[in-house]
Amino acid sequence: MRKCTLLWFLALLAPALALAAPNPKLAIPSFSALAQKATESVTITLDPGLLGLAAKFLDNSDPQDAATKEVLRGLSGIYVRSYTFDKDSAYQQADIDAVRSQLTAPGWNRLVETRSRKTHADVDIYIMVDHNQAIGLALIASEPRQFTIVNIVGAIDLDKLHKLEGQFGVPKLDIDPPKATPAPQK
Amino acid sequence: MNDDSTDYLDQQLEKARSGERAALTLLVQTHQRSVYSLALRMLGTRDLAEDLTQEVFMQMNGNLSAIDSNRHLGFWLRQVTTNRAIDQLRRRARVQMTPLDEETQLFSAEEASDPLLQRHLRALLADLSPAARAVLLLRYQEDLDPVEIARTLDMPLNTVKSHLKRSLETMREKTYATSAPRGQVL
Amino acid sequence: MSKDIESEMRAALRPVAPSEEFSQKLVAKVTSRRSAALKPRRVASGWHPLAWWSGAGVAASVVLAVGVHHHLEQQRLQQSGLEARREVLQALRVTSQKLNLAYEAVKSQSTSLIDEQSGA
Repeated sequence: MRKCTLLWFLALLAPALALAAPNPKLAIPSFSALAQKATESVTITLDPGLLGLAAKFLDNSDPQDAATKEVLRGLSGIYVRSYTFDKDSAYQQADIDAVRSQLTAPGWNRLVETRSRKTHADVDIYIMVDHNQAIGLALIASEPRQFTIVNIVGAIDLDKLHKLEGQFGVPKLDIDPPKATPAPQK
Repeated sequence: MNDDSTDYLDQQLEKARSGERAALTLLVQTHQRSVYSLALRMLGTRDLAEDLTQEVFMQMNGNLSAIDSNRHLGFWLRQVTTNRAIDQLRRRARVQMTPLDEETQLFSAEEASDPLLQRHLRALLADLSPAARAVLLLRYQEDLDPVEIARTLDMPLNTVKSHLKRSLETMREKTYATSAPRGQVL
Repeated sequence: MSKDIESEMRAALRPVAPSEEFSQKLVAKVTSRRSAALKPRRVASGWHPLAWWSGAGVAASVVLAVGVHHHLEQQRLQQSGLEARREVLQALRVTSQKLNLAYEAVKSQSTSLIDEQSGA
């Protein structure tokens, strides 16, 4: 009887326990209203099955395909939503907040926050780490006429993402702060 | 294309079917300009055009046994390229035209009678619906007659003629109504 | 006027060649896949007793139907695979563009900091 009670109790707790575990997959809204206003939309949803299928069609002898295949290893999802508009401020920050608010949940760490006066682009990059391994990446880029959300789920190897440099024009993301210049000696 | 060339390419197709690399290379080199140009002018950017061109030729690999002549191959390639481009465009609201400087680099200066006008016409092409754009490209790039265009796109002949008529009228209005007299650069 | 616009359209839409680099890559990819795809032909058996033919005809029809179905499935799979590959490349392209935005912002911030410190 006690064993039954214990099992029943654990069964009730299971969903709560599952929720407590970090989940790198974001719940991205459909943005259907924004998609209708947009002049260009990019909607990419790649689950494990599609990623596996894509990997079969990447050619090892091609440097770009080979580098891409390396990045895909260990990933279980890539989700991209990007909307371009023909005028400034066609979308509200509140539209993106439904996604941004998820990044305050435990597990997510903000890696980079940039605000550029030159390009008027704000880019936030978050990473989810579990047992010293990156298991999720989220990127939110807001520009005057475009916003983009990228969510990558799985064992992200940041080194391999680095190595895409030159293949897609991925720069080496040097996020370490610059060393302070020593004060001139009097 | 004269009869000798036709026979020669039909022979190459036969050899390509049985795996002769040189023959397959020749077929790709013979048709790649057509496929790439269709993809570029449908999709608007070099990256997307290259991706689609590669997909189409890879798909051709799996279908060589069903293609009985070089003429049939040309038809098949045009059909697959335009249909896949139209599918991609339907998933996006509007495509951005190739940046003008990118395309003028591809265009041989000695062939251009009025490069500014031609650039203008290519820009107007981007404003057409995917189906109308495909019709104009098959007519003026590939030199197909309306019956062949209707077969390629699986479109009623009257629809093809209607697209041609309306698109040319629009282009004429937007070109000659606002342009300076011929010979004078705007 | 009609002839003018049509001839201008033809001139404007003359086919353009892809870059030499892409062209070479394309040929290399297509010819390597073709070699991989070709399977060795089976040598037909020389033993054909007459009575065997009627059963063989039925069997051949079944095999043909299965073969056609398999071929169509393979085509669909190939299309889906190529489509998925295209989407992966596009997703990574978009990601890299946005990473580049962050990089440019960090770089210009670092440069301003260094300028400020050296000017102080």
